Amino acid sequence: MEAERAEVRALEAEIAALRRACEEPTAPWKETAKAKKSFKNIYQSESERLESSKDLRRQLGHLESELSLLSTLTGISIRKYSKKTEDLTSTVMTEKNIKKVLQRYKLSGDCHMVTFQLEFQILETQNEKNLSSVVTDLNIIMEPTEYPELSELVSRAEERRDLFMFFRSLHFFVEWCEYRKRTFKHFKEKYPDVVQLPEGATSSCLGIQNASQPGFELVIVWRIQIDDEGKVLPKLDLLTKIPQQALELDKKNVIESAPLSFRTLLGVLGIEASLESLIKLFFNTKE
Amino acid sequence: GILAHLERLETQMNRSHKRFEGPQRTQAEESTLGTRIHKLRLLRDKLRAEVKQRQAEIEASAASTEPDQTLETSEQEVLETKLENLKALLQAYHFTGLSGKLTSRGVSVCIHTAFDGNLLDSYIVDLVIEKPLWIHHHSVPVFIPLEEIAAKYLQTDVQHFLFSLCEHLNGYAGRKYQADRLQSDFAAFLAGPLQRNSLCNVLSFTYKVELGGQSFLFCARLLYKDLTVTLPTDVTVTHRGTDALSTSWEEQRVSHENLFRTTSLHKAFTSFAGGEKLNMSL
Repeated sequence: MEAERAEVRALEAEIAALRRACEEPTAPWKETAKAKKSFKNIYQSESERLESSKDLRRQLGHLESELSLLSTLTGISIRKYSKKTEDLTSTVMTEKNIKKVLQRYKLSGDCHMVTFQLEFQILETQNEKNLSSVVTDLNIIMEPTEYPELSELVSRAEERRDLFMFFRSLHFFVEWCEYRKRTFKHFKEKYPDVVQLPEGATSSCLGIQNASQPGFELVIVWRIQIDDEGKVLPKLDLLTKIPQQALELDKKNVIESAPLSFRTLLGVLGIEASLESLIKLFFNTKE
Repeated sequence: GILAHLERLETQMNRSHKRFEGPQRTQAEESTLGTRIHKLRLLRDKLRAEVKQRQAEIEASAASTEPDQTLETSEQEVLETKLENLKALLQAYHFTGLSGKLTSRGVSVCIHTAFDGNLLDSYIVDLVIEKPLWIHHHSVPVFIPLEEIAAKYLQTDVQHFLFSLCEHLNGYAGRKYQADRLQSDFAAFLAGPLQRNSLCNVLSFTYKVELGGQSFLFCARLLYKDLTVTLPTDVTVTHRGTDALSTSWEEQRVSHENLFRTTSLHKAFTSFAGGEKLNMSL
């Protein structure tokens, strides 16, 4: 009987070991994939599976179009986004029917060639009367650009926790910069001998000079400013460099009033036409 | 005596019972043990076979060639993840102040407003993309000059149209927020109701000012000529009363005018509250 009892104990031990071996997952992902597949197989035929893939693709296409639309409308391309929610409601608050939730967001993307990374927090408080959402913290990181106005914009936006103003101003500022770049480039290519861009492609000034008339120079300074309210304003100014002799001949004080006349011209003809007419001045020497 | 005798009989009986049960019990035990062993052996063999099968499966699946079906499942998973990502990105656009979606006839744009870090109401404009572009439906308040803005920009530059509308709506939202805060948080300072128009660009109120034990009533009139701003373009603060103001009070009046011109309403009144507390402590 002792022997039999021993055998029972041995068998029980082996069974326990075998049971453990059976419980161990073999290749877990394959198991679940197989399980999923077999599950789906029960409820989906081959054609149904293709249909759901097609449907997903169609949905994706639709979403991609929407994203492209928003990117065009706002001028901003958002590439990454994450959100974390933290419930700050205490028991005291729950009793009074008040709910407090803190949401942490991370957002990154670009606006043309300017890239940005934002981290901000929004505190949502809900009581019986209303729901309030307040931006409690805003951090903006931008890669250094050749535009000092942008770092001013960043500090202003961070100080005021003004997300919308940041994006709006960034969009229009960058757009104006691109327009200025294109316009200057156009004139440089059209009149290569007369037009100079002293600071290169992203220059804020354009110089007009004619080699046959040294000493005469016109400089157009085109600044793009962001005011306190976030409005983006282009500011164009004309600077003249005229030899003393010519100034003495200038009885009608044309040169002195040139900057003001330029402003008027801008209002009438717009930027491109005004610049074109100024450049043409330097061609019409003694014709 | 008898008890002891009975005890002896009892123990005798137990012993004999035991001797009686003994072999039977051993026999029963043996047979149950036997069945048990039999059962356990069966179970062990079954489990051994199962483990063997699992081994075989592992080896088989390692060399398995079922790429198509596994790929298809993972393709679906890839698509689903991508879908979730795109949905999240679309949500993120809310924080640029402008979001929207495609409709069957065009696009439905949502303009969000905020002031001083507070996220406020959103407004919808449904555009039908045809020549000419037209607004099918919108939730813009009637006192916002939507038609004017549309007449200026809608056909030539949709972006500019939306931007201008955005400026107007944010301006209105900011002014409304300040007026609401003044009414709710600083009612104690007001002598009489805050007079406001729907656009909240004409505000008029009378408030109490205390300085060195004296108290006066000041009337403030705030005008926001530019509908896109949240700070007034014109401010007049006058003294309610017949007597002329002393120099110190005149200084107060002027400083209040400047304050209203440069600070939001509720912040101005917060500083009054702080100032008042200071005066009282003097």
